[in-house]
Amino acid sequence: MFKLYSSLRKELLLLINDKVGLALMFLMPLLLVFIITIIQDSAYKMVNENQIPLLVVNHDQGKEGAKLVGLLQKSGLFKIDAQDGIAQGSLKSELLARGKMIALYIPAAFSAGLESNAADVSSILMDDLGLEHDTTASEKISMPKLSFYNDPVLQENYSYSIISVIQSYMSVIENSLMIDRMYASMDIAERSQKLKDKMISNRVGIQQILASNNNSTAIPNSTQHNVPAWTIFAMFFMVVSLGSNIVKERINGSFLRLKTMPTTFMVVMFSKMAIYVVVAALQVALTFSMGVWILPRLGLPKLSVPDNIIATVAVIFISSMAAVSYALMIGAFAKTEQQANGFGAISIIIFGAIGGILVPTFVMPGFMQFFSNFSPLHWCLEGFYVLFLKGGSWQDLRGVFSFLGIFIVFCQLATYFKLRLERII
Amino acid sequence: MAAQACIEIKNVYKRYKAAQEDSLSGVSLRITQGDVFGLLGPNGAGKTTLISILCGIIPVSSGDVQFYHDGEPYSETERKRRIGFVPQEYAFYQELSPRQNLDYFGAMYNLSKTKLEERREHLLQVLGLEKAADKKVGTFSGGMKRRVNLAIGIIHQPQILFLDEPTVGVDVQSRNAIIRYLQQINQDGTSIIYTSHHMSEAEEFCKNIALIDHGKVIAAGELQDLKTQHAVANLQTLFINLTGEEYRD
Repeated sequence: MFKLYSSLRKELLLLINDKVGLALMFLMPLLLVFIITIIQDSAYKMVNENQIPLLVVNHDQGKEGAKLVGLLQKSGLFKIDAQDGIAQGSLKSELLARGKMIALYIPAAFSAGLESNAADVSSILMDDLGLEHDTTASEKISMPKLSFYNDPVLQENYSYSIISVIQSYMSVIENSLMIDRMYASMDIAERSQKLKDKMISNRVGIQQILASNNNSTAIPNSTQHNVPAWTIFAMFFMVVSLGSNIVKERINGSFLRLKTMPTTFMVVMFSKMAIYVVVAALQVALTFSMGVWILPRLGLPKLSVPDNIIATVAVIFISSMAAVSYALMIGAFAKTEQQANGFGAISIIIFGAIGGILVPTFVMPGFMQFFSNFSPLHWCLEGFYVLFLKGGSWQDLRGVFSFLGIFIVFCQLATYFKLRLERII
Repeated sequence: MAAQACIEIKNVYKRYKAAQEDSLSGVSLRITQGDVFGLLGPNGAGKTTLISILCGIIPVSSGDVQFYHDGEPYSETERKRRIGFVPQEYAFYQELSPRQNLDYFGAMYNLSKTKLEERREHLLQVLGLEKAADKKVGTFSGGMKRRVNLAIGIIHQPQILFLDEPTVGVDVQSRNAIIRYLQQINQDGTSIIYTSHHMSEAEEFCKNIALIDHGKVIAAGELQDLKTQHAVANLQTLFINLTGEEYRD
């Protein structure tokens, strides 16, 4: 036991003396969680909470254009900048000059065109019903077209979303006009309001339900994604500290010296793994504490801790074992400290990128989603997502444990055979 | 009556994987208990390979090595407890202090906490490391690092001590301190097997030597006898006469 205690103490002392390694393992995740969460949260808010700045040029001679602008304003989705003095020809340059992303142009014949179309529809209906109506031929005006301008940097799906919103308000206006016209043709114009109200209030609603197994009401947000993601990233970054430690011990002959002593190399490896698994657990505790207590104080969403504590501990343990095993393997194969640090760090960034740490895997192209399965960080993240966002059971974690288990065994065997090849074991 | 052997090396061959030639070719030596035995030879002669085999770091390709104490052979497991090894490299933790290094390696030698503390403080004192005992070894001079390296190898009071170039790159003061202490532990009963390129140091320190070149023992025996036999005044001349003046890179 004294041997094990001394070995653990030595690893701890080496760790404490590695200031750069400590900063990378503890300071980096805190900063990353803090910065990325703030950035992503403001992006979420820009879409979900903030009003979208919209330049509106209304040249309509009638009242429907103003009604549309009123409805858009009332929706609360847009911050409308009405600039009716701008000519349509100069709208593009005005949009860019004013630093706006989107603009809506309502043409002069907007109301006239809508009214003409409503009259046509009403006339067809009255004819089909065999009812008398005013058949005096009026001037036919074609359906108006709204012009939607957008900055090319604006995401296409974002533009389509705004167009859909405008179209839904247009439907309200067009339906309202048609009802008015039909009721007027039947000389019961004063009764139209009841039907209009009924039609608007009885539209089919869409209920949003989260695909979660525990009926959790936790809404995926920037904190829920970023805290586990960057914690895993930092866990794997222990390759810089642990990997270079192993390279040093291999190169300076400490490992060979141990071979001449009445001790087993397992004590050394076990001590390294134990200390760094504790480091990983501390990293989780630190970043999760930040998610629970500090981020909400900064106006960011609070981290919801999963209910299944045992599964959470198991996911943390297997993730940290994967990180430790990877660092051991890099340390065993690298020829120099620089190689261990450089390759180790870059490989983690690449694993992080394909594993969904930097960008979620679901926005990646199909072939990249396939490759993400080969990133250990992806499976660690998947484990946390199952716990945090899907309220996952042990059943859901089977894939995570299987892949990470295979990865750990592979790394440990590779480390063993490399050290054996060097006659250290 | 001949002195009892502590190591018997019989017809040892060693060829590394993918190597064209043997690193050791039929080496046979008998090292007696209580001796200071010098393994001498030019670069690449096979000295470090032989020491690595004796310390159990690498296996022999063929041949036999047997360890004894008071005439009794003992096992490889037992050998690890009875030998000490001081490699050429600074094989310790530069980020830790001498005290912390000794604590760690002492524990690996199965020393009890009390015994370890006693030996640690003794070595720090006799090797002049007491004042720097809690400073990081990485900040030390070459001589101090050599003394730390030595202290680690002898913390458990080994019966046989292997030293691979223990004084390379150190100043005269540190070299004297190291040699003085080695002579003292030899007088206390520790057998020493030592390699060096310092011929004058080896001449002063060793009782018996083996000259190795191209993996073969080209001369072995009591130093004085070898000088008389080859009619030379000192070890350096003997060395040059037997190994030649060509570069060994």
